[in-house]
Amino acid sequence: MRVLGTGLGLLLLAASFVVGSDLFGTREALFGSAAAPLRASAFSRVVTDSPEAATQRTVLRSQPWWQQVERFRGAAGQTTVAPRIRDDAIQWRMKWNCTSGRFAVATSGAAKPLIEARCPARKTVELVAKPAGPLTITAGGRWQMQVEQQVDVPLTEPPLPAMTAPGASRLSTGRFYRIDQVGTGRVTIYRLPNGRHALRLDDFYVTPNIDLEIRLSPLRAPGTTRQYRSAPAAFVQMLETTTGSMNFMLPKGVDPSRYRSVVLWCQNLLSAYAGATLKPPR
Amino acid sequence: MTAATALPSAPQLVLGRRRIPVILPKLGDPRLKLSAVIVMLQVLGQTVLDFKLSIAQILVTIGFCAVVDTSVTLWRQGVLAWPASALLTGNSIAFILRASGTKHGDWWSLHGIEWFLLAASVALLVKYFVRPGGRHRFNPSNVGLVWVLLVVGPLHVFPQYLYWGPLEAPVIAALVVIAFGAVWVLRAVRMLPMALSFLAPFTLLIALFAASGRSFVAIWEADTISGINYWLHICTSPELLIFVFFMMSDPATAPRLPAARIVYGAATALVAAALVFFQPTEYGIKVAILASLTIACAFVPLIEAATRLRGREAAEAPAGTDPPALSARWRTAVQRPASVAVALIVLSASVGTATLTANDDLILIERGMAGPRNAQ
Repeated sequence: MRVLGTGLGLLLLAASFVVGSDLFGTREALFGSAAAPLRASAFSRVVTDSPEAATQRTVLRSQPWWQQVERFRGAAGQTTVAPRIRDDAIQWRMKWNCTSGRFAVATSGAAKPLIEARCPARKTVELVAKPAGPLTITAGGRWQMQVEQQVDVPLTEPPLPAMTAPGASRLSTGRFYRIDQVGTGRVTIYRLPNGRHALRLDDFYVTPNIDLEIRLSPLRAPGTTRQYRSAPAAFVQMLETTTGSMNFMLPKGVDPSRYRSVVLWCQNLLSAYAGATLKPPR
Repeated sequence: MTAATALPSAPQLVLGRRRIPVILPKLGDPRLKLSAVIVMLQVLGQTVLDFKLSIAQILVTIGFCAVVDTSVTLWRQGVLAWPASALLTGNSIAFILRASGTKHGDWWSLHGIEWFLLAASVALLVKYFVRPGGRHRFNPSNVGLVWVLLVVGPLHVFPQYLYWGPLEAPVIAALVVIAFGAVWVLRAVRMLPMALSFLAPFTLLIALFAASGRSFVAIWEADTISGINYWLHICTSPELLIFVFFMMSDPATAPRLPAARIVYGAATALVAAALVFFQPTEYGIKVAILASLTIACAFVPLIEAATRLRGREAAEAPAGTDPPALSARWRTAVQRPASVAVALIVLSASVGTATLTANDDLILIERGMAGPRNAQ
C-alpha cells in the first residue's frame, strides 16, 4: 500500500511537471486558453481575394461586425448564385428588394425556401446555418440582393489611397490609453487632397462592445468618463469593428484642429472606453 | 507511550471511554502573530484595497486546511491540536491566490473555490508526504500556490497584483501593517537578517534589469512598464514585501543557522532575479518570485551543510546534530522517494516558470485583449 501510494504520488508530480510546463499543450487541453483559435483577418469591409488573407492569422477577436460578401441583381426568371460565406462566420443575411411578381430564394436540401414574398418588397433575412449549396433565385421582375456575413475577426484595411496621395498630409497622431476599458493602438488624422479629413486607426484594439462611437474631444487627455463629459465632443463615426486597422471619413463640418483628443464612447453605458491625445506628427 | 500519557497536564476531550489531549495555541507563538498581520491585511483588502477575493473564499480555504490538519494530527498523534500552521497555510493561500472573474465586494461568492481548495490540498499533501529526513522541505502555502499557478494556469487563477493602488491612505495603511508586522514577526523568529539578505541583492538586480531595458505588461497598466517604473512596481510592491517577510521567513522550512539564513536569503534572491529576468508579464514575475522560494527550500539542507562545512557556525550548532559527509548524504538522498519528489517539484517550478516567458495567452490576458475570454 505504501509503495503504491509513493508510486502514485511520484506519478502525480511527474504529471504536474508535464502540465505545468504545458508540454505538448497539455495545460491548454485540460484547462483551456485565453486565446481564441488562430483565424484569418478580414482585409476589407467587402470580401476580397486578398493573398494576405491566407497568411495573416490572429487570435484577437472583434465585436461581431457585418462584412459584405457579394451583391447580386437580376430580372424575371431563375438564377443560381453561390455566395462564399466563411466557415467561421457567426451568421449571414440577405438584404433584398424586388419590384414585381413573386420573389423566392431556395437552397438545396432545405424543405422550405429561405425567402418567399410578393413584390414589391424590401427586407432583410438573417440566418445562422451556412447554406448547404448554391442559392436558386426565382423572380417575377427586377430584384437586388446583398449577402453579408457576421464575423468577429479583426478588420485590417490598408490606408486609403488618398491618405498617401500628393497633397495629403498628416495633421495629428496619438496613442490610445485606457479610460474605462482597454484601448491600444494608434490614431492618425489626415487632411486629404480634396480638403476632407480622414481618421485612421492602426494596430487598434478596444474592449469589444456594440454601439461604440469615435468622437473628438476638445480636452487634451480626458482620464475619466466624467472629465470627458465635461466638454462637448464631436461625433465622427460608429465603430463597428473593435480590432484591426481601419479608415473613417470625418463628417463635413468637423474641423479636427478644434479638438485635442479622440475618445471611444459607449452611448449605451455612458462610458468613455479609451482615449488618445492628439499631437502633431514628428 | 501514548499522547495522553505524554501530556498529563493538557486539557482533555472525553469521548465515551476515550480521552483526547487538547493542545491549545500559545500566545507567544509567532504563527499567531503572523496570522494576526495577515488577517489585518485581509480586512484592508476586503474594505479599502479592492482585493478581488471574497470572504467566503478566505473562510472556506482556511477552514479546509484546519479540518484536514486537525484530522491528520488526531489520526497520527492522537491529540486534538490547534492547527496553527494549517490556518496560516490557508490564510496565505487565500491572501495571494485569485480566481479569475471574482469581483471585489462579492463577499460571499464561492467562485473558483475549487482552485483554492486544490492549492490547499497540494500544500498539505506536500507537507505530509514530501519529508526527506523526516522534516517537511517546502513552505506549504508557497508550493501550493506555485503548483496551482503553473498547472491550472492564467485562464482560471492569478496571484494578487503587484500594484495595490496609488500611494494613498489604504496602501499606506497596508504598508504600515506590513512594516510593523515584519518587525514584530521577524524579530520573534530572528529572520530580519535573512529578509535583508534577500532584499539587498534582489532590488539591486532588478535595478540592473530596469537599466538594461527590461519591461513587462500588466492588466492594471495600459502601457508597458519599464525604466524606473519596472523597479518601483516590483521592488516596492506590498506583494514582494509580504513574500519576503511572511513567507520566506517560515522557521520550519528556512535554515536554522543564522549564517545559513543569510545564504538562503541571498540565494533565493538570485534565483528569483534569474527567473524574473525573462518574464514579459506581471503574472510571470509573481510566479517567478514565488517559485524561487520553492527552489531555494529544496536546497536548504545543502545550504546548511555548506555553511557548517565552512565552520562559521560550528560553535552555535546544537549538540549531536553533526551530519554525515555531504557526498554520503547525497548518495543516500537520491535513493529515497521523498528526495525524488523534491527533485520533481524543483524541476516543475523552474521549467514551468521558464515556459511562462513564451506564453502568448499571458500577454493577451495582461493586455486585456482576450475579449470575452478575458481573465483576471
